[in-house]
Amino acid sequence: MTDSYVDAGHAVDQASLSGVVGSAPPVVRDVTYDRIREARSEPQNWLTYYGAYDGQRYSPLDHVNTENVRRLAPAWVFQAGASGLYAGPSTYSFEAAPLVVDGVMYVSGWDGWVWALDGRTGQELWRYKHAIPSDTQLCCGNVNRGVAVAKGKVFVVTLNAHVLALDAETGECVWDKTYGDVQAGESGTVAPLVVKDLVIVGSSGGEFGVRGHLDAFDVDTGRHVWRTYTVPRPGEPGSETWPADGEAWARGGGNLWVTGTFDPELNLMYWGTGNPAPDFDGSVREGDNLYTDSVIAVDPDNGEIRWHYQYNPHDLWDYDSNMEHILFELDGRKLLGHFNKNGYFFVLDRTNGELVRVTPFVDRITWGEIDADGTVTAKVFPKDEGEPVRFWPGPGGAKEWTHAAYSPRTQLFYVPVQDVGAEITLRHREFKEGIPYWGAGVVVDSKDMAGSVSAFDPATGKEVWRWRNDVPMCASVLATGGDLVFAGEPTGEFNAFDARTGKLLWQFQTGSGHHSSPTTYSIDGRQYIAVPVGWGSWVEGFLPGMFGAPHGDALFVFALPEE
Amino acid sequence: MNEMDALAGLHGSDRQVGSMLGRLPLRGRRLGYAAEGPDGRLRGRVRIPLDEMVWDPAILVMPHGGEIELELTNDDQNTHCALLPSNGDHQFLWLPNNSRGTATLELDGPGCYWFSSIIGNDEGQGLIGAIVVQGSTPPEARLDRPPQPRS
Repeated sequence: MTDSYVDAGHAVDQASLSGVVGSAPPVVRDVTYDRIREARSEPQNWLTYYGAYDGQRYSPLDHVNTENVRRLAPAWVFQAGASGLYAGPSTYSFEAAPLVVDGVMYVSGWDGWVWALDGRTGQELWRYKHAIPSDTQLCCGNVNRGVAVAKGKVFVVTLNAHVLALDAETGECVWDKTYGDVQAGESGTVAPLVVKDLVIVGSSGGEFGVRGHLDAFDVDTGRHVWRTYTVPRPGEPGSETWPADGEAWARGGGNLWVTGTFDPELNLMYWGTGNPAPDFDGSVREGDNLYTDSVIAVDPDNGEIRWHYQYNPHDLWDYDSNMEHILFELDGRKLLGHFNKNGYFFVLDRTNGELVRVTPFVDRITWGEIDADGTVTAKVFPKDEGEPVRFWPGPGGAKEWTHAAYSPRTQLFYVPVQDVGAEITLRHREFKEGIPYWGAGVVVDSKDMAGSVSAFDPATGKEVWRWRNDVPMCASVLATGGDLVFAGEPTGEFNAFDARTGKLLWQFQTGSGHHSSPTTYSIDGRQYIAVPVGWGSWVEGFLPGMFGAPHGDALFVFALPEE
Repeated sequence: MNEMDALAGLHGSDRQVGSMLGRLPLRGRRLGYAAEGPDGRLRGRVRIPLDEMVWDPAILVMPHGGEIELELTNDDQNTHCALLPSNGDHQFLWLPNNSRGTATLELDGPGCYWFSSIIGNDEGQGLIGAIVVQGSTPPEARLDRPPQPRS
């Protein structure tokens, strides 16, 4: 450096120019598989993506209940904002489910952000920012659905398909592994799932003609342990459901971008798989196209698929089936419940995949029908080049990825419902790696739409109550031991309902639409409800009528006033 | 090789990236390349010329992902700054008039990363640059399938 220049020094972490503390208490050090397995026994925490392996999104906490919820008020708000240019500024959305361990919150944002926050005050304890290439192919927006924690580490995937282990006390990267090919159109958005000594992640990129896969890494070292593809190679089981000639299988889709659930007794994970590719042009992939649009029961020890159930054989409507599979028991039987994009609520025997019951959960279903025995009859679908067809639900689904909840107290499922159709025009195109591969022009309705939070009895499949909304409901639901159901609206309101009647008991306007998964926790006996708020992602697919609504980037935390 | 030819060759045959980056030389002066030293470490330089409100080069090319030592020089008669991408956190450097500083960046690649000056007088004025990391995804992370056609 010459003397003629002023010494500007060395660049510093941007966080050093903020109020960030820089470290968090060592609360994750003792988070083990056994604790995650028994997560519901420590309701003060939210230890894993759905709160527990069963995916119920239910907390026994009852300090906030139907009697006092009207007094609920903001305890603190965390806002991230943006600096400089970044990937996907138009499609970012705050989608995560905040985890909480003994008073410390761990939450991921868009564009590679991870934060550790003080759960009582919202103070930023540390931050991690992964640098994301701005040309990363984002399948459906700049989003991340959450983190996992175990053995002193916070696990997160990045948009450019890395899986990271961060030191839970400092936010520093402990290990970093690449698990997808961005040049092929793959990306990472899923919240990881820790099972035993493995951290398990699925791939995104289903609109780019990739081949979906699930990967497992050693929690301690990051060593890659297994990979399972959801579209078989020729000769493998299921390959008979793809054309015998050509390479449709190699571009077949079936991505896994929503976290699976896990039954430790059966030693089975339940992961939903995404749409086949191309989404709407079935002429290049004759057959049922396994294991797309399915639930696959996977052995976590080796990644083997033990059984599967396909919801949408030969999908022509973009009905990804990634959405949660909620584990519950009924009359002593081990079951799972799943609300599919196609508008039907499925109950399966989770020991073997046998269909127990299938019933509709949205008013308008015109694409086809599913009989009580599970027989699928397609009626309206893109068939002729350039000929538009209209069907309900549209490709955003009667329920998007955002999650339902199940309360063991009421024995009801609570589901956010989207009643919106679309016009699809078949447009054949040749496959090119890294280029969107839809095979259609897509226009989702921006008028004549509706939504609801609806409660269903899994014993009958019948709707018990419905809270109606003018626009689709596009955020996850949370059920609590206080007999409350929380759900955010696209117009910004965060609502609490009576879990038994559906009566709206409380509401707060957060200023931006909800597209995330609220969670709850407690510190020193005070219950908090946390909800990330930031409208965005694939809005043109699930609610184009709100495409111009305000983007937000805040995390709201609510509590009853301190005595 | 001129700048546009060089851009076309960047990042494989990625037309989208080439198109995006192709706009940058209109503001910045040229394309620059990071050099790999005998120790295997990448080093690069960028500067802000007098009264142009641009980075020079506007596009810095890294031949592969990893760590790079960057030298930043402000030859302008105004104060600027640099907000740079790096795994872990953005790197921030204050650049008073006639100053020089350094930054250590870690970038995965392959891909294109933006950097800029984010202070009040600079936003919207063109002090936007890109770091393009060449290379490809590690073989163990790629899809198990035959080579596919690209555009």
